[in-house]
Amino acid sequence: MRNHRLNEPDRLRRDARIAGLRDFQTPSLEAVEQRRRQLWQRTATALALVAALVVAFAIVPSDRLAAPGTGRILFAIVGVGGGLFLWAFHKETALERLTRSLTDERVLTAALTNRLHEVSLLLDAGKQMNAHLQMDELLDTILRSACELLDATGGSVMLVEETDLVTVCALGRDAAEGQRMRLGEGVAGYVAIRREPVLIDGHADPALFPGLILREPYVESAMSVPLVHRAELEGVLNVNAPIGRSFTEYDLRALAVFSEQAALAIANARLYEAERAHVAALLDLRKRREVG
Amino acid sequence: MTGAHHRPRVLIAEDDPDTLVILRVNLNAAGIEPMLAGDGHTALERIEAESPDAVLLDVLLPGIDGWQVLEQLHAKGNTVPVIVCSGKDNIHDLQRARELGAVAYLVKPFDIDRLIEVTSEVVGLRQGAPAAGRGTAADADGVELA
Repeated sequence: MRNHRLNEPDRLRRDARIAGLRDFQTPSLEAVEQRRRQLWQRTATALALVAALVVAFAIVPSDRLAAPGTGRILFAIVGVGGGLFLWAFHKETALERLTRSLTDERVLTAALTNRLHEVSLLLDAGKQMNAHLQMDELLDTILRSACELLDATGGSVMLVEETDLVTVCALGRDAAEGQRMRLGEGVAGYVAIRREPVLIDGHADPALFPGLILREPYVESAMSVPLVHRAELEGVLNVNAPIGRSFTEYDLRALAVFSEQAALAIANARLYEAERAHVAALLDLRKRREVG
Repeated sequence: MTGAHHRPRVLIAEDDPDTLVILRVNLNAAGIEPMLAGDGHTALERIEAESPDAVLLDVLLPGIDGWQVLEQLHAKGNTVPVIVCSGKDNIHDLQRARELGAVAYLVKPFDIDRLIEVTSEVVGLRQGAPAAGRGTAADADGVELA
């Protein structure tokens, strides 16, 4: 049966058997390495013995070598040496396959663990965001959670107000709060219009982002994602990388996933605010009627 | 390396565990020996240590991303054929992949049969006639890197 027709556990078991790992209950790279060392130590010892015998025959006086059967013995010793090497090579091939398979298993386990970690972080962030209905607290939570998730040093949340984007929450650059820019201006404006995440590595290109205001201090790496809920643009979330670190497309994807939950939470908080305003208006109306 | 092994070996650099498993099963069934890497560092390590016959490289990888892996391979002069897998279908990324020496650019979500076809072609190119290590392979959406 060819290799690729065996399933992974069967391949592992077969290679472990060939490699001489009889007690291979728990597959581990360490056990394979130990077996590899043991195999080559034993092979080296046996080959040294074979070499010693060959040398011994070589220094025996030539008239003794002429004795009947001596040639065959020498041939047999060399044959045993060759066979031993082939046997060790066969086992080494199985050990190599085992190492590769076990490395693959480790990679899969690590990928699963990473994914679980990400999902867990996103769930936690979602829980924290959904625990707030007050807009101020919510925006603060969104920004802090995004920075924690991506190991960012700062950023801002901008909300849509008619045709403008207004910075309503900022971390690291408090001066940015209250800043207003038109939709389509700068990186955030571009993100709002195009509704697609943007990763900036190095200086942003003013040709690509009309109306871009160059910031001081200069941010080496930053990301901006739109906050969209049910096709409605709520705002833009921006995060900045610490000095010496660059965000990657992988980080951008994580922030994009995070932004979906953030947009939902903002939409809920806006609904809550509208409901509160509505109730307050009704109460006010009732009070006026009672007075009247 | 290929001569020493019965089957061509392809490194799958991908962070999504489901995709890793799906690609592993399908490449195995196609007679290609898959090797796995879940992040950019592992991908670079395994490429250097085990010299696969080709690499299926996802752009979105934790640690160092697919572009950085490609840049490092390019900088070191490593000629392993790389098939870039990306969710973005734009000329800028395609151009970037070409400049960094990738042999094909597959847009996600890809048709698994087409991916196997392209991968087999790339591995075949390396084993077979063309003198250059990098040949031409069409991607799932008809984009071609020369």
